Amino acid sequence: MTGIEVRNLTKRYGPITAVDTLSFTVRPGAVTAFLGPNGAGKTTTMRMMIDHVAPTSGSVTIGGLRYRDIPRPTTVVGAVFDASAFHPHHSASDHLRIYAAMGGYPDGRVQELLNLLDLADAAERRTGGFSTGMRQRLNLATALLGDPRVLLLDEPSNGLDPEGTAWLRSFLRDLADDGRTILISSHVLSEVQQIADDVVVIRQGRLLTAGPLHELTGTAQAVLVRSPDSAELSRILTRHAQAVRADGPDELRVRGLDAARIADLAAGQGLRIHGLTSEHPSLEQIFLDLAGERTKA
Amino acid sequence: MRPLIHAELRRLLATRMWLGTLLVAALLGGGLIGLLAVIGPENFDPPMPGLHTEAGVRAVLGFLGFTAFIPAAIGTLAVTSEYRHRTVNFTFLFAPDRWRVLAAKLSTYGFAGLIYGLVLSSTAALALFGAAALRGVSLGLPTATVIELLARLAVAMGAYTVLGVGMGALIRHQVAALCVVIGYLYGAELLLMMIPGVRHLYPWLPGGATSALTDFTAVADALSQQLSTEPVRLLSPLAGGLLLVGYTVLASTAALLKPMRRDVI
Repeated sequence: MTGIEVRNLTKRYGPITAVDTLSFTVRPGAVTAFLGPNGAGKTTTMRMMIDHVAPTSGSVTIGGLRYRDIPRPTTVVGAVFDASAFHPHHSASDHLRIYAAMGGYPDGRVQELLNLLDLADAAERRTGGFSTGMRQRLNLATALLGDPRVLLLDEPSNGLDPEGTAWLRSFLRDLADDGRTILISSHVLSEVQQIADDVVVIRQGRLLTAGPLHELTGTAQAVLVRSPDSAELSRILTRHAQAVRADGPDELRVRGLDAARIADLAAGQGLRIHGLTSEHPSLEQIFLDLAGERTKA
Repeated sequence: MRPLIHAELRRLLATRMWLGTLLVAALLGGGLIGLLAVIGPENFDPPMPGLHTEAGVRAVLGFLGFTAFIPAAIGTLAVTSEYRHRTVNFTFLFAPDRWRVLAAKLSTYGFAGLIYGLVLSSTAALALFGAAALRGVSLGLPTATVIELLARLAVAMGAYTVLGVGMGALIRHQVAALCVVIGYLYGAELLLMMIPGVRHLYPWLPGGATSALTDFTAVADALSQQLSTEPVRLLSPLAGGLLLVGYTVLASTAALLKPMRRDVI
């Protein structure tokens, strides 16, 4: 099984620390979303995984080995960073044939990937005229030449239309279900919520949280309570809930209690409730909450 | 290393640039030499010895040395276009040992430069012998010597291509690298020859080494005459060839020490 292990990874550019003692693991058979705002250090971290960027300290291993020590590394890792990494005058087929030769893969693999990624009709066209979706598919085809067990994709859905994004989601899901390790970075948190099994969230090069997505969203679940007696209800709920926050004159956001328990507590005190809504928070909300907590700390 | 060289050959042949470049070689070899030989060096301004003399033949063929910036630019583009088009992302993914990438490019483009040189030299030979026959002039150098000079020119073109690869790896930025390589070969070195004191360095510079490799001293001599200075003494052809290889090794080593190791971001 080929997982990724990041240990105390640090990258400094002069006085700027882009990645700061970062540690996390990425497991096989899952899609892991690597999240954080622009400039958080996601790309730098991913580039350190494949020796594109040299760490200042710390290490990354893939299947227990540093990238440079992996024999025929593209049989283990495929990676896509730029939206377009092709010579504009090369055809898709030329581009893939160059890297098939470089990796020592047979030319038959090129045709297989052109078919798999629905590029067979565009195989002889120059990549300079490709749409964003076609470029992304050609990127994926290049990364998959060696049929790698690990796939690193930096902002893969940037510029894709909804159809392309949906296709990418299903494609990556199939790869993960096949037991591969998929790490995708994104700054658009809502986008990966639909595909990620696990998340790693960083900000300013530091780890905010890492773990299964359902645990993260589960713990952060909230109930929105509308009540004309919100002040009194808030006092009661505070004794039982993790957090109670007034969102408006008649509104409370309660964490750590479910809707039934809130209703029971209110009824016990004879307090009126006009609405109870269970909220599954978005990744954005979780991220903002985590970032807020970290800032306060 | 073989897969990397195979990939570089495919990359080189993937566009039609190779065809265009060989066409340029044929035009320069056949066209330029043919034109110069038909006009005759004795009709140049200032006049030079005619084709019936050794100096005249060497002067005409030596002009080809001034076209070395073309293979040098091709070599430079081999590396800089990887950075420009971001293919370096995939290249270093497939080949994390970056020195292997550079070594493959040096080998592939050295070979390609040699092919360029052979096309240049063979078309030049055809043009020179054809023009001499047309004008009824008996060349001032034996045929074997002419062919040897042209063979040395072909080797020089190969050497300049690999020098360009080294410079491309060292500078990485496409426009900057091309400006340095072409600007230096086309202008800066000639200017250096005009500076008293500094001009004695000329035999040790790439252009001087090429002149030594081809026994071409016409331009250096003409400049010396105009400036009323002593003629510059060139190195032996073998030393000139080795010096060119030395410059390539120097540029490639410098590139591997720092620029090629730089983070790809």
